[in-house]
Amino acid sequence: MTENSHPSVWAKGLVRRFGSKVAVDGVDLSIGRGEFYGLLGPNGAGKTTTIKMIVGLLRPSEGTAGINSLDTWRQPLEVKRRIGVLPEEFNLYERLTGAELLDFTSAIHRLPREDAVQRRRELLQLLDLEDAASDLIADYSRGMRKKLALAAAVIHAPPVLFLDEPFEGVDAVSARLIRGLLQQYTARGATIVFSSHVMDLVERLCTRIGIMVHGKLVIEATPEELRQQFGAASVEDAFLEVVGAGDLGEGLEWLGASSG
Amino acid sequence: MVGRLVWLKWRLLVNGVRADRQRAFGLPVVTIGVAAIGFWLAGRYGSAAGEMSARAAGEFTLWVMLVVWLAWITLPVLLFPLDETLDPARFSLAPISRTQLMAGLTAAGLVTPTIVVPVLLLATNVGLFPGPLTALMALIAGGLLLLQFIVGGQTFTALVSLILRSRRGRDLAVVVVSSLGLLGFALQQTIATAVGEYGLAGAVQVYRLSSWWWALPPVAAQQAAVAAAAGAWGQSVLALAISAVWLLLIISLWNRLLLRLVTTPESSPLGGSKRIRPTIADRRGWSPVIVVARKELLFYVRDPRLRMVWTGAVIFLGVIIATLLIGTTQLSDIQRARWLPLIGPMVVIFIGLPVALNQFGWERNASSFLFALPAGPRKLLIGKNLATGTALFLETMTLSVILAWVSGGWATLPMVPPLALTAIGCQLAVGNIVSVLAPLRLPDMGTDLFAQATEQGCLAIVAQMVSFFVIGLLMTLPASAYVLVVQFGQNLNPVVVSLASLTWGAIIYSIGLWIAARVLGKRIPEMVALVQTV
Repeated sequence: MTENSHPSVWAKGLVRRFGSKVAVDGVDLSIGRGEFYGLLGPNGAGKTTTIKMIVGLLRPSEGTAGINSLDTWRQPLEVKRRIGVLPEEFNLYERLTGAELLDFTSAIHRLPREDAVQRRRELLQLLDLEDAASDLIADYSRGMRKKLALAAAVIHAPPVLFLDEPFEGVDAVSARLIRGLLQQYTARGATIVFSSHVMDLVERLCTRIGIMVHGKLVIEATPEELRQQFGAASVEDAFLEVVGAGDLGEGLEWLGASSG
Repeated sequence: MVGRLVWLKWRLLVNGVRADRQRAFGLPVVTIGVAAIGFWLAGRYGSAAGEMSARAAGEFTLWVMLVVWLAWITLPVLLFPLDETLDPARFSLAPISRTQLMAGLTAAGLVTPTIVVPVLLLATNVGLFPGPLTALMALIAGGLLLLQFIVGGQTFTALVSLILRSRRGRDLAVVVVSSLGLLGFALQQTIATAVGEYGLAGAVQVYRLSSWWWALPPVAAQQAAVAAAAGAWGQSVLALAISAVWLLLIISLWNRLLLRLVTTPESSPLGGSKRIRPTIADRRGWSPVIVVARKELLFYVRDPRLRMVWTGAVIFLGVIIATLLIGTTQLSDIQRARWLPLIGPMVVIFIGLPVALNQFGWERNASSFLFALPAGPRKLLIGKNLATGTALFLETMTLSVILAWVSGGWATLPMVPPLALTAIGCQLAVGNIVSVLAPLRLPDMGTDLFAQATEQGCLAIVAQMVSFFVIGLLMTLPASAYVLVVQFGQNLNPVVVSLASLTWGAIIYSIGLWIAARVLGKRIPEMVALVQTV
């Protein structure tokens, strides 16, 4: 079997328990090459835990996951060479400068030095981080850190990219640039697994959506299928149908009633 | 509000014990230990004062209160993590006035096992002054002293918090710690010399604090009781008043510090520079091992806490030189010992333990970034070891050169590099294994100089003690060979000893690296979970 005949990203019976709590409950995934896959769910649904298990940062209680023909838990280094990760808590080296972090990442990925320098320059320019390239990351704003973490995730041009809330805190201009960059990326055959709470973005970017609720993957469909299946005007409405949105109902009348 | 803060402090203690097994075991042990120390100190204090003349006893009690007060306000900040302490900055947005906050923090300051020590000492102190009126005055003075203990401690904590929040905070903290350490050492040496010369009762009368009572807050309070016992009621009341003024002054200082603490941002961003300065890719060495080593070395310089570990050598150096300069006669013999430069590796290895034994703990939350990269465990370890070894070697050589200069033992100096490399090899071998088996979480906390998660406190101490013992054991053979050469002339050829020692170090290091790399390869998710604070 060739590497291309396998799904780009896969998971089989992924389970993760924290004590008695089941955070991820038997998730099966199969994401093809060039897909822009949106993993959605309310807070605590298990999205981040699932991504962490696929990329090798959290050991599954049961099941396994991988990239192409590789198993994350048997061939961790080979998997990590093929992925880029923008985690939800993008914990970067605070005491490196932005440029140093990108160089460090390139060197670990064994990029030739000349390529590393060129890619670093282009990414910093694209993400409007050039002026801050020699500042310590500790001095970066949240949005700047997000953009830098994204640059670090793509600098080695991985065939698979995992993005957890990539647009959080990013200004509108940069967000538009990043959107373009990611769409171009998938158009060239890369796979993106994307988690976000911004439904408008999900609807615009994703070619397929998986919704998790209480650790289970309850539905997988294209945005169009999702809207049709629930007779909804938007992915957001369909999503709310799936997860069972609450309403304000009775109570809380006191909120905003106090004077002074 | 006072009650709320006391409740909060209590809940933090109780929840900490409930949530963590180490703490559930550690807190009762610490409480019993502290109570035992408190009873022992109070007993020694009472009996020593009881054996002296009234005049000497008065002077003695002034000294005791001064020393205990200084220890109380400084030691908690310098030695222990403070995550149970209510950080005033957390109340920045709460609708609490600073007066309420200070009252609450003062009352909450009583909710700690260590309070047993001053309470027992002060109770013993009241018992030293017979007669109802004198005892009453001692009781009032004791109350003032207790308040000075709590408020003084809070003020010092607030001061250190403010220092730590500045951009160069931890460097300043190193200066504070070094100064206090050297001052404490000098004070201890001076007291030991004076007591040795005059005896305890004589020494406190030669170095009389009663002449300076008005200048030192706890001494002023204690002087109120001492003067009352001597029948000098006028001076007693004056001392009490001055002590109360001191208390108000400390409160006022605390108030000003709190004002800054609850409004000053933790750090101010630097302005952006337009040009990219030369970075990792612009310099030599582009392999993962070299890049990891380079990143580590950058962090040794840039991370204030790591910088503090390495500058610890300066403190040790200061203490060693101070010992040689102002120490006792036995110590002056050491000054002339030609083996003195060989101490360098031992001292530096001790200093390097927090880094060598916790290579991945220092990654903190960035561990998830590092371990998502395709860096092989062996390469990661070698890269980190290269950096640690370089820093240790440079510090060893610097220290040994200074020791050679102090002792005149220049002839021994050529033996230091092989001994240092052997010791570094043994230390890193043990360090790598401990680093992957028991990494320690190092949270960022505003008021903690040597922060490490308290639930891992016992683990840290046990790991360091056992490792130090094992490193010592591994070094017995090469160190013995060096001692034979230095102390017994040319019984062994120094070149052969050096080569054998280096081989030994290389073998031990290789075994340690092999084990650690295999363990690390299988434990990456566990490592991330152990060292991350979120």
